[in-house]
Amino acid sequence: MREDFPILQREINGYPLVYFDNAATTQKPNSVIDAMNDYYSNSNANVHRAVHTLAGEATEGYESCRLALKERFNANRAIITSGTTEAINLVAHAWGRANLSDGDAIILTEMEHHSDIVPWQMLAQEMNIELRYVPVQKDLTLDMDLFEAAIDGAKLVCVVHISNVLGVCNPVEKIVEIAKQNGAKVLLDAAQSAPHQDIDFVALGADFMAFSAHKMCGPTGIGALLVSDEAFDEMQPFMGGGDMIETVSIHGSTYQQNEQKFEAGTPRIAEAIGWTQAINWLNNVDVESEHKRILESARWLSQQLRDMGMTVYGRHDDNDAAVVSFLHPTMNSEDLAHLLDARGFAVRTGHHCAQPLLDRLEITGTVRVSLYFYNTHEEVVSFVNYLAEILERFA
Amino acid sequence: MNYSDDLAELILEFQDIEDKMERLEMVFDLAEEVNLLPIDQWGDDTRVRGCQSEAHVKVEVVDSNVNFYSGADSKLVQGLMGILTMAIHGVKADMVLELTPEFAAEMGILNSLSPSRSNGFRNMFDKVMNEIKLQV
Repeated sequence: MREDFPILQREINGYPLVYFDNAATTQKPNSVIDAMNDYYSNSNANVHRAVHTLAGEATEGYESCRLALKERFNANRAIITSGTTEAINLVAHAWGRANLSDGDAIILTEMEHHSDIVPWQMLAQEMNIELRYVPVQKDLTLDMDLFEAAIDGAKLVCVVHISNVLGVCNPVEKIVEIAKQNGAKVLLDAAQSAPHQDIDFVALGADFMAFSAHKMCGPTGIGALLVSDEAFDEMQPFMGGGDMIETVSIHGSTYQQNEQKFEAGTPRIAEAIGWTQAINWLNNVDVESEHKRILESARWLSQQLRDMGMTVYGRHDDNDAAVVSFLHPTMNSEDLAHLLDARGFAVRTGHHCAQPLLDRLEITGTVRVSLYFYNTHEEVVSFVNYLAEILERFA
Repeated sequence: MNYSDDLAELILEFQDIEDKMERLEMVFDLAEEVNLLPIDQWGDDTRVRGCQSEAHVKVEVVDSNVNFYSGADSKLVQGLMGILTMAIHGVKADMVLELTPEFAAEMGILNSLSPSRSNGFRNMFDKVMNEIKLQV
C-alpha cells in the first residue's frame, strides 16, 4: 500500500517522513495525482454544455465522481461542494433558511468542529433560532440523556460522527432514531468517519452527510453533501449563477432539478476526477481490517504515552478512530511538535478547530497523532522511542 | 551589519550546527538567558500579538541603553527571547535600532521554525523596536 503514495518516500531533515497528521489531511496515491495531471494535460474543458470531445470527457470525469460517491456511500443525492465546511453551510442556507423559522431549535454537541457550530450561530442570530448543545461527559461520550431531553421541538440535529480531537465515534444510529421519532432532521459531519468506515447513508437514515475528499486520499478543495430525497426536495437554491440554471430571462430564471441546482459556477473538475480515483483506491482497501490494525496501534500508543506520564484524551473503542490526543504535564505542545518535526514526525498541535470541546476538557490544545491506513506499527514504535529521547533531553 | 560581540559569536555558533534537533536544543538552552518578566506583569501591553504561545516583552531605555525583559509559556519561544536578549540587552539604543531580523535568518533559526513561530519572532522583534523608538 505504501508504494502507492510517493510522498511517503520523502525525507524530512534527513529522516524518513512519518506522517501522523491524517485527521487534518491524508496523502494522495499516484492514481489521484496521475488522473488530475492527465485531465489537465489531455482533457481540460468546462463541463455540461459544450458538445466538443474535451467537454464530453470533462463532463464524464466530473459526473463519474458523483456516481462513485453514490455507489460508495449508497446515496441517491450527492451534491459536490468545496468540502465539509461548505456542505454544512449549504444545509444552513439551502435547507435552514427555507425550513426554519423564528423560535425553532437546532441541537448541536460540544464535540462539534467549528465548521458545524459557526454556520448555525450565524443563522441563529439572523433567524432567532435556539441552539441547544449536548454536553460531553467525563468519559468523553455525549450525554444521551440530555440529548433526549433536548430533542423536543428541535427541527435539526447536527452531530459529528467521529470527533477529530478524541477519535470518539458517536452513536449516530441511536441519534438518528431518536431524531426521527421526534420529527427532526439529522446532519452528520462525517469528515473523520467517511475515510475510516464503510457508511451506508440510506440505511443510516440521516438526512444530510457532509465530508471532504482530502481526508480520504483525494484532492483538497472538494467535498460532498449527501442528501435524503425528502430533504433534497425541501432545499432551495443558495448560490445563483451558471450550471445551476435551466433557463434565464430578464423576467426570471428556472433551476436545474438535480444536484446541479446547488452547484453554481464552474465546478472543481480536476478535483472531482482525482477524487474518483481516491474512492476507487479506498474501494480496494479492506477498510474494516485496516481500521482494526491502526486502532490497535493507537491503543498501544495511548498506553505508552500514559506510561510516560502523558494525559491521553481518548478511549479507543472498536468504532473509534485511530486518533491519539495527548498532553505532557509540563512541556509545551508546540515545542514538542517542533522537536518531533526535527526527526520527520508530522503531528498536529493546537485546538483542532474544536474549542468548545477543549473548553469542556479544560485545556487549550493537545498534541494529536492521527493514523491512516498507510501508517505502520513500526512508525508508531519509532515515534514512541524518539518521544522518550525528547523527554529525556528536554522535559 | 555590525553586531555586538556576543551576537556575532552566537551567529557563528548557530551556523556551525547542521542538525535541526541540535539547533532547537541550543534555542531551548538560551531560554535561560532572558531577564524574566514575571507572569504577574504579563498584560495586553506586553503581549506579542500573532504568536501562538503566550509571549510577553517589556523594554526600557535607561541612559540610552536598552533593558529587555521577557517571558513565554513555550521554552522554544523563550529561547528566541533569549537570543534577542543577547542581541539587545545592555546595548545602546541607536545601535539596537540598526538591527533587522536578518540576524536570526543568518543563524538559520527561522528556517527551523514553523511559519507561525517564525512570524511570531518577527512580531516580537517589531514590537521591541517600536517600543524603543518611542522611548528615544
